Amino acid sequence: MPSSLNAIVPMACVTAAAIAAMVAEAFREPGERMPIGPLGVIGLAGAAIASIALWHHNATSFGVVAADKFGLFVTGILIIIGVLSLAISAPAIERERLPQGEYYALMLFALAGMMLMATATDLLVIFLALEVLSLAVYVLTGIRRDSPVATEAAFKYFLLGAFSSAFFLYGIAFTYGLTGSTRLDRVGSLIAAQAMAPTPMQLIAVGLLIVGFAFKVSAVPFHMWTPDAYEGASPAVTGFMSTGVKAAAFAAFFRVFLAAFDPLHAVWWEVVWVMAAATMIVGTVVGVAQTSVKRMLAYSSIAHGGYLLVALVSANDAAKGAVLFYLLAYAVTNIGAFGVITLMENTDGDRPNDQIRDFAGLWNEHPALAALMTIFLLSLGGFPPTAGFIAKWYVFTAAVNAGYYWLAIIGVLTSVISVFFYLRIVVMMYMTPSDTPARFPLVPRIAGAALVVSAVIIVYLGVLPARVLDWAVASISSIF
Amino acid sequence: MQFPILTSLVVLPIAGAACLFLVRDDERHAPLVRNIALVVSALVFADTLLLWSRFNAASGDFQFIERHAWIPTFGISYVVGVDGISLLLLVLTGFLTPLALLGSWESIQRKTRAFCIVVLLLESAMMGVFISLDLFLFYVFWDAMLIPMYFLIGIWGYERRVYAAVKFILYTLGGSVLMLLAILSLASLHNAATGSYSFDLQKIYALQIPQSQQGWLFLAFALAFAIKVPIFPFHTWLPDAHVEAPTAGSVILAGVLLKMGTYGFVRFAFPLFPDAAAQFAPYLAVLAVIGIVYGALVAMVQPDMKKLVAYSSVSHLGFVVLGICAMDTQGVQGAVYQMLSHGVSTGGLFLVVGMLVDRRHTRLISEYGGLKKVMPHLVAAFLILTLASIGLPGLSGFVGEFLILLGVFRWSPPLATVAATGVILSATYMLWMFQRVNYGPVTNEKNTGLRDLSPREWAILVPILAVAVLMGVMPNLFLRPIEPSVNRMLNQIHAVAPVRVQVSHQPPAASHQPPSSN
Repeated sequence: MPSSLNAIVPMACVTAAAIAAMVAEAFREPGERMPIGPLGVIGLAGAAIASIALWHHNATSFGVVAADKFGLFVTGILIIIGVLSLAISAPAIERERLPQGEYYALMLFALAGMMLMATATDLLVIFLALEVLSLAVYVLTGIRRDSPVATEAAFKYFLLGAFSSAFFLYGIAFTYGLTGSTRLDRVGSLIAAQAMAPTPMQLIAVGLLIVGFAFKVSAVPFHMWTPDAYEGASPAVTGFMSTGVKAAAFAAFFRVFLAAFDPLHAVWWEVVWVMAAATMIVGTVVGVAQTSVKRMLAYSSIAHGGYLLVALVSANDAAKGAVLFYLLAYAVTNIGAFGVITLMENTDGDRPNDQIRDFAGLWNEHPALAALMTIFLLSLGGFPPTAGFIAKWYVFTAAVNAGYYWLAIIGVLTSVISVFFYLRIVVMMYMTPSDTPARFPLVPRIAGAALVVSAVIIVYLGVLPARVLDWAVASISSIF
Repeated sequence: MQFPILTSLVVLPIAGAACLFLVRDDERHAPLVRNIALVVSALVFADTLLLWSRFNAASGDFQFIERHAWIPTFGISYVVGVDGISLLLLVLTGFLTPLALLGSWESIQRKTRAFCIVVLLLESAMMGVFISLDLFLFYVFWDAMLIPMYFLIGIWGYERRVYAAVKFILYTLGGSVLMLLAILSLASLHNAATGSYSFDLQKIYALQIPQSQQGWLFLAFALAFAIKVPIFPFHTWLPDAHVEAPTAGSVILAGVLLKMGTYGFVRFAFPLFPDAAAQFAPYLAVLAVIGIVYGALVAMVQPDMKKLVAYSSVSHLGFVVLGICAMDTQGVQGAVYQMLSHGVSTGGLFLVVGMLVDRRHTRLISEYGGLKKVMPHLVAAFLILTLASIGLPGLSGFVGEFLILLGVFRWSPPLATVAATGVILSATYMLWMFQRVNYGPVTNEKNTGLRDLSPREWAILVPILAVAVLMGVMPNLFLRPIEPSVNRMLNQIHAVAPVRVQVSHQPPAASHQPPSSN
């Protein structure tokens, strides 16, 4: 294999697995059970091996895909997201009778798109990756075809997503008009060489790109689609898209704004500052008012996007390391939480069990599930000794070092507010007797194992974060 | 390698909790679970006593220091050590935890295993707070401690337990997150000064923090500690949490948790920011005095025994804060002594009230009356603890309050005068409550057949009473290890900020005489 292809090996593995999943589904006899999920895991394992092998090599392909440490770190996060999502999807597929071949294939295609987005160093390739992952995720959102809520969610998500893609593309066009290139390194050096005072063209290009990214990372005021999409989709899908899409989009957001548009930091930091503050405030304050767990976690994930934006504004070394660690911590935590919701739906009753009060008495009915959910919620709330605490601490370190004290203060105060609604579920689970006849969530072994693994990672990252932090720090020195 | 005795204080309870996971969680195994938890907590207490016996009381420096890299990239390390101030708080924690477990022996019948696990985890986190010499490590324990306490109140508490638990955690967290930012800023300052991050307390002690920064940093720390103590007007979470918590929760809350706030002032807020401390101490002292009087007045009118004891804590801890604000040897020594004494006497009072509630399932004073005739032994213990809490000479409370008032009087006679009324008021509300509960005729029929102390309850009360008397008659036993550490801390403060803001008209020379040993 020519060495110039090395950098795309991880996503090629995943794509191959996706195609294999499609083929397998096509040749499946009706009623035949096929291990399509494990096929995806094999593809992801291949991607993981390739990523480890590429770690020190800084490989690039075609000049537009760079398997640098930053990209590979995000790829690693995406692989973890993929494996956990595949593991917790099985009960949902079983229960909802979803077409499993399509489901797994779409998830794997989305993952390939995300990996491409995390490693792309050309605006057009980023756009391409964005579309690959978005199309797959739109379909996944609406894969419960008989559910009107899911269909509505998918349609909303698709319309707004397409709208934002247009913004993004327009931003690329302006950038090209400005610099004559779409490659991030050239864009960066040309912008740095241009006049000191920002031109209107630059402002328009930066503004349009910010809008495009802000939609994808669901930053306020471009977050409107998020609660509906997250609520309508099957919780396993929500867990996947709330972490995967966010990780990929933030990776690209960081790469574009800290590599190419860093010379214009003075121009865009105020906008992102306001967006970060608004995202944290709206996400937590509106989250308090929710009664559906899925909607509540949707607002929580909006708020977590706000913390990541704090890192983006800070734009120093700590911020770059912080975003990587944060994405990892957030990914394992959020998938875990949505995994529990998936299992809650998987009870012997026929209600979805997705209201906060459906968690009442869970401790009595299923103490292990309640304990796992507690770990996930504490990590989301940023309590030590969990990954969420270290992640938040890292982000606030970045903000304080960069002198954005007010942003840090808003951040810590909103995280206190968010604790209030995370604890509402804990109150339900432990301190409120159940008002319905006892339900016993059926916990399939693989899904249960995935949740335990997430919890172990969370506690490990909370107690002994040094090694992974060092990887994150090493990753940022390779670019930027 | 030396035996890591401080780490063992943190690890032992966790190991005990892990053991409990192996025991089956059902009715039949509940006694086994309780016994394991009790043995583990007793071992931890023995461990603290061992620490005390090996502690060099002549030195004011940190001892038994252990240092391991934890997150080296950011200069975060696992640094633990004790001086005289934290030593006795560790002993207090070790002393109260087994008693709290014993006090809940019969009243906790639901989810016994989880209860014992939560208490042990809480103990571990409390130990961690007192031994941490790294700001990051300290914050981790400080926050982690909230979770078991939250469960303790929320699951095993009384009627309004959920409200109380959520209020507790949100208040405390709200205060402490700003402290987290202040800690980050300190590390950032260290980086600016030396080129590397560090959260190591001793290194940050040595840092010259610009006066312009000290103000807000001090306030961020002080807010976190003020909520925890709690200082008026941040006290509103305390009555709820105390009243709704189960006996074990109230004992630990009053006995140890509140001391974390005052300990924070002594260990962090004052020595780290001496200039700001000198500037803000008068205001803090005024709030403390308001708390002393206000807490006492509110305590007087409470119909609920637990609430009364809770408000009395606001008043007593006002003394502690006042003593710290005086920033002289007597004041601070008295403050530390009062922390210990309050832990013993108020912890004991909550245990006695818990025994009454176990028998009658009510906390209302009006439901009782004439208990002296029914339960002479229990009432005798109740009386001694009441007197200890009031500060009768010969019992634990007297020494601390006396030293504090002595120290404060040299600094500011007006404050000392107003604070002294708190001593009188405390006698009023405590004795009035004691009288209504225990003297007079037995008015309520339900009280006639109550049994006196059981052997288990004897086992709880005897050690508490012994310590209350010991602290009253042999104060030097406890003051000796405290004094060098207090002096070291005061030297550290006054070396940097020699000019003290005077709120009184005393000649300045009088406020900082060389420490006199007593």
